[in-house]
Amino acid sequence: MEAYFIAIGIIALIYVILSLGLTLQYGLTGLINFGHVGFFAIGAYTSALLALKGVPLVFSFAAAAALAGLAAWPLGLVSLRLRDDYFAIVTLGFSEVVRIVITSERWLTNGVQGIPGIPRLYEGLGGSAAQLAVLVTVLAVTLVGAWIIRRIAGSPFGRLIEAIRDNEEAVQALGKDPARFKIQVLVVGAALAGIAGAFYAHYITYIVPDQFIPLVTFYVWMAIIMGGVGRVSGAIVGTAILMLFLEGSRFLRDIVPGVSEVDMASVRIGAVGLLLVLFIMYRPQGLMGDYTKR
Amino acid sequence: MFYAQLLVNGLVQGLVIGLAALSITLVFGIARFPNAATGDFMTFGAYAALSAHKATGSIAMGGLAAIIATGVISLLAYLAVFRRLAERSVVALLVASIGIAFFIRAVLGVAFGHSQQVFQVPLSRPYVFGSVRITPLDLQLAAVALAALALVFAILYLTPIGRQMRAVADNRDLARVSGIRPDRVMIALWLLAGSVAGVAGMMLGIKTIVTPEFGWEMLLPAFTAAILGGIGSPVGAVVAGLILGVVQEVSTPLVGFTYKIALAFIIMLAVLLVRPRGLFGRLEGAR
Repeated sequence: MEAYFIAIGIIALIYVILSLGLTLQYGLTGLINFGHVGFFAIGAYTSALLALKGVPLVFSFAAAAALAGLAAWPLGLVSLRLRDDYFAIVTLGFSEVVRIVITSERWLTNGVQGIPGIPRLYEGLGGSAAQLAVLVTVLAVTLVGAWIIRRIAGSPFGRLIEAIRDNEEAVQALGKDPARFKIQVLVVGAALAGIAGAFYAHYITYIVPDQFIPLVTFYVWMAIIMGGVGRVSGAIVGTAILMLFLEGSRFLRDIVPGVSEVDMASVRIGAVGLLLVLFIMYRPQGLMGDYTKR
Repeated sequence: MFYAQLLVNGLVQGLVIGLAALSITLVFGIARFPNAATGDFMTFGAYAALSAHKATGSIAMGGLAAIIATGVISLLAYLAVFRRLAERSVVALLVASIGIAFFIRAVLGVAFGHSQQVFQVPLSRPYVFGSVRITPLDLQLAAVALAALALVFAILYLTPIGRQMRAVADNRDLARVSGIRPDRVMIALWLLAGSVAGVAGMMLGIKTIVTPEFGWEMLLPAFTAAILGGIGSPVGAVVAGLILGVVQEVSTPLVGFTYKIALAFIIMLAVLLVRPRGLFGRLEGAR
């Protein structure tokens, strides 16, 4: 039982890191990133492949963050001068292309067979001690990430990006170039997703392209919308609900007889869809959001 | 001559993309957001056609079922969700359209299962021109697509409601003060956009295999064609769809089958970088 809670805790914190990235990008800056899972995938594969080549995990994690951030940069250059909705389409397309590339380039990623046997963190400790150490590490990274985002939100830079979200023309009129700040935000959020991906790869130890479908992006969207957009507390609460939902649906399948795994996957997708629509319609500010504005 | 064959295949594929892009560009131009549920509307149309075809054995009945059922589901999506979000930001509409897309896919997955399904159409001998082979089925599909396009353009350019739709696309406020009732225009829009997506879905289903995910996978090429054609331009969407279909097919020997969709993405980025208003779009659109 204890092992189960540690496992859930690790996955939940990985999702919190993903939501923090999206909170920075969408919640604070208003960037509609529909391709979060693409950066997550880049981080997972980068760190997994480097680690299997014998690179120490500290460096493979750093490379995961760097490469995911680097991938965001040209994407931002091309699309951030365009309207928001175009950016949403471009990022969605980007994450699909990432998945196509890792599916097709078998020489590098082993295609649909995926990469097995990715080394765990703290393998030397063995068993439950290693698990606990992983949990503590992810927690530490999450807390640092949350702290950085709160610091950013309170800094002049944070006020600027929030101003971009609220009125881009006004920012332009003040002589600031919104695109430059948006690219910085995009890169930082993508790097966070890359770190989350690295944790994921080294925790699950086996990655295949099917783990990086757009549904993952919208799990994260669901989390921040349910929790409350633009707040660190919202990202955390939303992720907690998301985990309850994901684990609950797995639990439900185990006790209800005659429901196949594919059916349950459909039900899960349908519930995500329905929740997204309902929250957008009836509680756009989320559970932790500011009730005074709409 | 090998490429001539690919050109023919590409044209049929291009008509499917063009119809999907037409649905996107109509909604984008008039309701002002990129409808990410378009792909799943297509899937819905394909399953509707599949069921009707199984029940009656007639492709024509299948097409009718696709048009009606998808038009209705699209209208329902508008009445239940999009209409209530009309005054909200574009991201609300966008996220809601993703939610609707997931919901439709889930319902189809539970109702029809996840196994691949095919239209049982009789095989027929292809017509041979030199080294180019054209199947009667391809010709029929092309005829259906062209008929659907002719109908849509007739509605848009020859009927009062079509004129009103174009007026709203052009300038919503001006249309309103001119006495155009936005509600009627929106209902016509969603019926039309849904039906067009339904036809596209049925065509794609007949050409390939139907799964609950197959429409979603067409979303990227369809968005690319809508952007390449210029958002809000129906003619542009169709022309760009044909271009994209041909480019995808002709490049397949060079880049491989799996990179078809990636190619659409590269083309989208290139268009946004060089000419964000597309081939036929207006200047203020994208920026």
